Amino acid sequence: MTSPAPRPAQPATAPGAAPAVELRGVRKTFDGRAVLDDVDLVVAPGARVGVLGAAASGKSLLLRLLCGLIAPDVGAISVLGEEVTGRREAELGTLRRRLGVLFQSYALFDFLTVAGNVAFPLEQRGEADPATIAAAVAQRLRAVGLAGSEARWPSELSGGMKKRVGIARATICAPELLLYDEPTAGLDPVTSRKIFDLLDADQRATGATVLAVSSDVPALLGFVDEVVFLHAGRVHHRGPVAALPDARDPVLRAFLDGEAGGAGGAP
Amino acid sequence: MTALLASLGRTALRLAREVGGLLGFGARVARALAPPRPDRRELVRSLYKMGNRSVTIVVLTALFAGGLMAIQSGSFVKKLGATGLAGWGAGYAVLREIGPILIALMFSGRVGANTTAELATMTLTEQLDGLRALAIDPLRYLIVPRVLAMVVMLVALTVLGDLVALLGAAAVAHVVMDIEWATMMTSFADNLAPADFFHGVGKSIAFAVAIALSSCYFGVSVRGGAPGVGRAVNASVVTSAVAIVLLDFFLTYLTS
Repeated sequence: MTSPAPRPAQPATAPGAAPAVELRGVRKTFDGRAVLDDVDLVVAPGARVGVLGAAASGKSLLLRLLCGLIAPDVGAISVLGEEVTGRREAELGTLRRRLGVLFQSYALFDFLTVAGNVAFPLEQRGEADPATIAAAVAQRLRAVGLAGSEARWPSELSGGMKKRVGIARATICAPELLLYDEPTAGLDPVTSRKIFDLLDADQRATGATVLAVSSDVPALLGFVDEVVFLHAGRVHHRGPVAALPDARDPVLRAFLDGEAGGAGGAP
Repeated sequence: MTALLASLGRTALRLAREVGGLLGFGARVARALAPPRPDRRELVRSLYKMGNRSVTIVVLTALFAGGLMAIQSGSFVKKLGATGLAGWGAGYAVLREIGPILIALMFSGRVGANTTAELATMTLTEQLDGLRALAIDPLRYLIVPRVLAMVVMLVALTVLGDLVALLGAAAVAHVVMDIEWATMMTSFADNLAPADFFHGVGKSIAFAVAIALSSCYFGVSVRGGAPGVGRAVNASVVTSAVAIVLLDFFLTYLTS
């Protein structure tokens, strides 16, 4: 695949537009340790935001909070104009139908085939025509480079293929907000590049807002417009990707140099 | 002494937490069952898997359990010359006690353990979160069909097991103790009442609910990776076995 064409960076907040994601004073503790503490974050519609941070800095937790899988201890979260906090599970259904989530460990349903997994969101949203579903599934699988894999089972797929099935499932309903948790974890650089190209093409086609968490920092920086760096439970830095080479913050610098150099260590 | 008390306290707290969790889970399942609108595909899949997986082991167990009852009761009735009661002795024990309890224990070891392992694996691989993220309630989509399938299948297997056990009793009585087939069949018909059969079936419903709740609860509340799956399966099987014995005692006591 070729590298994507340059894309104009999205503004942090488009004038007059309601934010796609808004966190206000969010705190979440586990066993007495505040993984996220007083986090404020606003993401404009259509933005591509990469979430960076050392291991256990709360990156995946942030995504889980956004789709209501975990409730914060303190603070408020609104997504696509709907409040997430303080709502019961059953009340989050409408919002969740507007989201697409790619989980770190794929979360493919092992009792369904590849086609069954990709078709699942459509079926559950009431699409009853099997021909329409089959056509949409075939189109999505072609887009992720898995044409002809409909009848295979998740257990028969490689890690990269599972990721791509996960992407196909997350995007088949053209959600307004996409949450990608480690879309390339454990993949080789070539497959990793292909996956990010795929995410890029998808986002260009739909204009969806994207929040992506990835330990593959160089590849992630090639995909997103701006980054949020989590450190010590807070948003330590936020800014456009283009400004990162000039970043002087020592903590961010150390993280980026460690990641870019492959040391993988953050202070 | 302090260490012993602390250990006892920890055990009591853990037990209270699990019992509370199990009861809360049961209440949520009961709410999801009213009205019961299980995913039909998931229900059929569960019914097929559970039934298919258990028939052989239930038939084998029931056949020999029936034979065993015939031997136990047969030696007495032969000694007393009351062969006409051989069928009653074996049949009464099979229909009211041995059939439901043995089949439930087998079902728990086979289907309950498998359900726990399956749900635990799904939990650890984020499949339950995947469902929630797609606005699907895992309780309604995964748990309710399994609970219903377990109840239907355990009752069906108990009925099948009862029949096989009675046949086994008649066969063993004929081969080992030379009691005529007709004598055994007449003894069954004359001495066993439909109430004996329904007593066992009623117990099997209670056992099925206990197995279903226990296996699903420990499956979805798993912690700690692959070793956690093993612990969850172990806890599920032990809890089911204890629940089966306790329920059997109280149901027998209350209906006797």
